[in-house]
Amino acid sequence: MRVGRWHVEPRGLASTRVTLLVPLLSVFSALVVGALFLALTGNNPWNVYTKMIDAAFGSSRSVSETLVSATPLILTGVAAAIAFKMLVWNIGGEGQLLMGAIFAAGAGIALGDGTPAIVALPAVVLAGAVGGALWASISAVPRVLLGTNEIITTLMLNFIALNLMNYLVLGSFSPWRDPNATQFPQGRPIPAAGRLPEFFHRLDWGIFIAVAVAIVAWFLVGKTRWGFEVRVVGDSADTARYAGITVPRKIMSVFLLSGAAAGLAGALLVAGVLGKMDPRSLDLGLGFTGIIVAALARLNPLAVVPVGVLMGALNNSGPALQSIQVPSATVTMLQGAILIFAVAGEFFIANRVRRRPPAIPTATVQEDAA
Amino acid sequence: MFEAPAGNQATLALDLRGIDKAFYGVKANDSVDFDLRWGEVHALLGENGAGKSTLCSVLAGLYRPDAGTFNYDGEPVAFRSPKDALAAGIGMVYQHFRLVPNLTVAENLALGHPGVGMRISQRALVRAANELGARYGLPVDPLARVWQLSVGEQQRVEILKLLYRDARILILDEPTAVLTPQESAGLFDTMRLMASEGKSVIFVSHKLREVKQVSDRVTVLRDGRRVGDVVTADAELRDLARMMVGRDLELPSRGEVAPPGEPVLTVRDLRVDGDRGIEAVRGVSFDVHHGEILGIAGVSGNGQRELAYGIVGLRRPSGGTVVLDGEDLTRAGVRERSRRGIAYVPQSRLGMGLAPGLTTDDNLALKSFRDPPFCRGPLLSVGAFREQAAELIERYDIRGVRPGLPIRLLSGGNLQKALIAREVSQHHLVLIARSPTRGLDVGATQAVRKLLLAERAAGTGVLLISEDLDELLALADRMLVLYEGAVVGEVTAEEATAERLGLLMAGHRDEVGA
Repeated sequence: MRVGRWHVEPRGLASTRVTLLVPLLSVFSALVVGALFLALTGNNPWNVYTKMIDAAFGSSRSVSETLVSATPLILTGVAAAIAFKMLVWNIGGEGQLLMGAIFAAGAGIALGDGTPAIVALPAVVLAGAVGGALWASISAVPRVLLGTNEIITTLMLNFIALNLMNYLVLGSFSPWRDPNATQFPQGRPIPAAGRLPEFFHRLDWGIFIAVAVAIVAWFLVGKTRWGFEVRVVGDSADTARYAGITVPRKIMSVFLLSGAAAGLAGALLVAGVLGKMDPRSLDLGLGFTGIIVAALARLNPLAVVPVGVLMGALNNSGPALQSIQVPSATVTMLQGAILIFAVAGEFFIANRVRRRPPAIPTATVQEDAA
Repeated sequence: MFEAPAGNQATLALDLRGIDKAFYGVKANDSVDFDLRWGEVHALLGENGAGKSTLCSVLAGLYRPDAGTFNYDGEPVAFRSPKDALAAGIGMVYQHFRLVPNLTVAENLALGHPGVGMRISQRALVRAANELGARYGLPVDPLARVWQLSVGEQQRVEILKLLYRDARILILDEPTAVLTPQESAGLFDTMRLMASEGKSVIFVSHKLREVKQVSDRVTVLRDGRRVGDVVTADAELRDLARMMVGRDLELPSRGEVAPPGEPVLTVRDLRVDGDRGIEAVRGVSFDVHHGEILGIAGVSGNGQRELAYGIVGLRRPSGGTVVLDGEDLTRAGVRERSRRGIAYVPQSRLGMGLAPGLTTDDNLALKSFRDPPFCRGPLLSVGAFREQAAELIERYDIRGVRPGLPIRLLSGGNLQKALIAREVSQHHLVLIARSPTRGLDVGATQAVRKLLLAERAAGTGVLLISEDLDELLALADRMLVLYEGAVVGEVTAEEATAERLGLLMAGHRDEVGA
């Protein structure tokens, strides 16, 4: 293919240098576009960006906050990455995260105050993973048995999960609602034994769990027999069938693991910074941002970790912008720009673009020679 | 008689000089010269990837050349689209037909015709179709819908479309690939008839016999370059082959017919449904013996795919039995059958036989990864993958493998060698191969045929399901002909001829031999 003097050739396989460089350039390009936008709206881009960096990494406290924000994003990022790699379009990370939060808070509240931490903490965290997986199974089972479109089912289940969470706390007197909240309805705090210990300002052990999940996902896909089968199915379902791999079972297991990772994100929020199922702090689109994280990480579970931290930093810097009269929605816009540039960057990873040497005429048919 | 010759006899119909066309930096046509006279059938001969289709697409206005001159009937032209070319009188029948299946033949003729306005006169179209059909030996019902037609009839519609547009130069891209030998003979008559009226026909093929049979002149392409052109009558098959391949062509063949060994694969009254739930294999029975190649001939789409699926376990048979070495495997799944010794080379290399995005190491382990040494417990042993790959690459001369890169970057021949290497390096008693040399160049065809013959020599029962008669005639010890899902005849290697197989393939029950 060629466009004017530019020649586009497929690369075959891109070098590591290119695969690392292109996402960095994507982020950089998004920042340039963002700077243009800021300048046009009468702000000094330099000031805004330095303020954002300061808010995200300027002090030990802000570093801690950035990692707190990154924890759920790493998990929803892993959830999207492993599913998409297998061509399972689970965009229900949002709903699975909320279901994870509902299950985790429910487990904590059910166990009550008397349970020792060694039982309560694993129970709360695992309940979240189970909740996410169960919620995913509502889409996974019909997909495997009947071939329903999981994009639609997972998307719609997001809204059901959101409304269920709101109902449990804002719309009813369920056990999830704090009976002591007099003013505005709030989630009931889970017992201290079910909480993750903090160790660095507000940062708790959840970050280690998230990173460990990313590493385990990478290991499972890359180094195990199960992962090999998953990779074959993701590459060509017909080839997998030919090789005697039970395709529906693989799709099912990937779908459920994806849901479990997203559910875990909800559980870590409940057991960590929030301490309760707080609808306002959970309805932030973390599941959707996870899709951006996975795309930027090129569906590599290990790369999800640094990308998750980057996105966490962006999220975290939003409120700081309001102190200099810049709308915090600027951050959302930047995230969108980064995604667009990342997707565009895929083109440059897959293809090499070269300028044609000017000596070769671009005319298609010469009519001079005999 | 017919109307006057379509072009000016004094000038060349086409005169192309120095045509260059590159894709992604690879030259598909490298300074190609081509000339065509009015009133001749001109064959364009070359192997796959020699640049035939690219040159045709340039002629038909689909591609614009990067460089070169293009004279049509003495005048320089630059077509911007196939529409331009067709308006000037150059039309092409592509390998994949461009017809609207839900419209009638007559309606397809009208599509895109400049003379057809808002109102379509069905009656005039039908009359035109009937007249042209009768005149050129292209009978087809103008009111039939295209999807109801056989492949051969659809091809006639494509040619009628061009004639209805008054095309003076007709380019036919591998037209015989989808035809039985009898249908091909009919098409050749039509081509000769068109040439006798002064039209020019470009016949693209890599089948030497057909080129020799029908053409006046031959232009040979190799690796994107023109090797030369010859008057067909002056050239021997062997000369054409040498021009096409660049060396003397020697394809391995069976040699002596094997004395039949013990039966290893017994198929009885096998019934398998097609994709739409209609029975596609209707009670097929045969034995494959140790050390023999049993060929299954037939025009594509007569149940070959479902037969293979039924035997390897990709589709559960709706009736009948599949017995391997005395064990009934009719109820077993793909994995079990593969373990018991059914090796399978599917028709689609990258669509089924290999995982295109995975590495060669991974692909060579696709059947064995579950067992040690490739797996220790649930963990993969990358080292074992690599060792096996290194050994097979060496033993089967698989070229172009680069570590860590997806296998789809290999050439077709090397893909097929890798696929066969994997299948025959496992425990196996029978090898089912579907069109194993389809789309391969001569060198790779040679290698694949050798592998199949080596399997036969080693005592494997080989079931060769192929649409390529030359291949079946060269390799198979005996052949069954499949027509509409049933076996319509059995022919031994000694009594097999292309003509006899062709009749059977067209559904004529075997009354010749009995």
